[in-house]
Amino acid sequence: MLPALVRKTWRDDRLALIGWAGGVAAFTTIYTSFYSQFQGAAELKQDALPQGMLDFLGIADMLSPAGYLQATIFSLVGPLLVLMCAITLTARTIARPEEDGGMELMLANPVSRAAFAWQRVAAAGSALTGIAAIPGLLLMIIVPWIGMDIPLSNVAAASAGLVALVWSFAGVAFLVGATTGKRAAVLAITGGLALAAYMANAIGGMLDGWHWVRWLSPFHYFIGTDPLHTGWHPLELLALVLLGAACAVEVAALLYLFYAWPANHRTGENTRSVFQAAA
Amino acid sequence: MRIVVDLPAPLGHATVLGLDPRRDKAALHRQIGYLPGELVFPGRDKAEDLLRFFAAARGGVAWSQVTELAERLDLDLSRSVRTMSKGNKQKVGLVQAFMHRPAVLVLDEPTSGLDPLMQQEFLAMVRDASGAGQTVFMSSHVLAEVQQAADRVAIVRDGQLAAVERVESLGKRAVRAVEIHFDDPVDPAEFSVLPGVSDVVVSGPVLKCTVDGRIDPLVKAAARHEVVDMLSAEPDLEETFLSFYYHGEGAGDASRAGA
Repeated sequence: MLPALVRKTWRDDRLALIGWAGGVAAFTTIYTSFYSQFQGAAELKQDALPQGMLDFLGIADMLSPAGYLQATIFSLVGPLLVLMCAITLTARTIARPEEDGGMELMLANPVSRAAFAWQRVAAAGSALTGIAAIPGLLLMIIVPWIGMDIPLSNVAAASAGLVALVWSFAGVAFLVGATTGKRAAVLAITGGLALAAYMANAIGGMLDGWHWVRWLSPFHYFIGTDPLHTGWHPLELLALVLLGAACAVEVAALLYLFYAWPANHRTGENTRSVFQAAA
Repeated sequence: MRIVVDLPAPLGHATVLGLDPRRDKAALHRQIGYLPGELVFPGRDKAEDLLRFFAAARGGVAWSQVTELAERLDLDLSRSVRTMSKGNKQKVGLVQAFMHRPAVLVLDEPTSGLDPLMQQEFLAMVRDASGAGQTVFMSSHVLAEVQQAADRVAIVRDGQLAAVERVESLGKRAVRAVEIHFDDPVDPAEFSVLPGVSDVVVSGPVLKCTVDGRIDPLVKAAARHEVVDMLSAEPDLEETFLSFYYHGEGAGDASRAGA
């Protein structure tokens, strides 16, 4: 049976989870289902926008099926939606109960701090994975159904990238939440990093001599490899997963440093860090 | 108190049941029931779902123990905790602290928000718990409650332990108010010089004063006059506490009596 805290976390977040899942599903379905109708408009849109703008928005072409999917689902709005979901939900794992005081009673159960952290991450992470997988799962049905000419394996590769992107930023959000204990910090820092990463990827692709900045951006590892045309890129996906995992490991290390020592090695300073409740 | 349950606190360390609250947190919390001073419940559950979560997180608690406590405190488990009044939230907090029959109960201001009837019920729960061999470690600003519930009292002043005593022995060194009615007017100077006697007020034949410690010198002095009536209030923990509190220097307002 799943740990009580995991079930409790899902139950507490159920409204938000249903809302995000519904939103992401509706977004995916509506955009792709109107592929054929949008074709005429897409042509207009592509002609109306200057090439620089198209590059910045991550739109290669809107006429081919791969280009259309890239432009609608995978380049801007899709990642934006799932990342917003990832950041707000991850902010709830530690930062929110620390801020509102609900942490005290959750910690008053026989779980170690590390177990508490892992169970919260497991609950939020599995929910986020499910939500980030929705576009991919729906496309598996919609793409053949409306007769888009694109290999499903490529769609799956891009969708896996979306999940990996969510993991990487959820890891960052979790690290910020565990170290600061403040929801505003999680939203501002992780959101800011996501924006900077998007800009780095977009601008790095446009300016000569700035190509290298793309390598710093998780977005590059997600979509810069052009999975809708070129299929799977396991190393790039692994890089995203490792970024998320590294953040989680860092939280574990902080927990070890600040909480695993015997009490007499502790000073007042040390108590004011990871999982610091409102004192 | 927060150190005992390993929540962030400015400084200090504790040993509970031979365990370190930080290193042995998971093992220790099986045997501790904790009621925070600032009650905030995670989530928007009904009381029943929330308590089922606590029961599962503590490795399973017989549900009858929960319903029994809820009945005792007259708590409706079908309501959402978020919408409850302060008193009802406090009841939910008490139920979760008592429900797994822990060896140690750590209760921070347990009766805050409870009506007098429920306060009595709570005191009965504490008596039952201590009768069953459980240790109750509670803090309170309500000294009458401490007097009823506690065996030993610790008085904390400005973060320092000012005294740890049994409740009865605290009474012995108590400051008591004494009022003596004489037949004729008396001279206050005659009494204010007596050891332990202070705050002497004489209005005509009536003398009012406070006595710290033995009452004998006052009685001997009074016996030289014709005494009509003598009133001595039972020493009150409140006055004892205040005497501890104000006899120190630079009294701050971070006072708290614990039991």
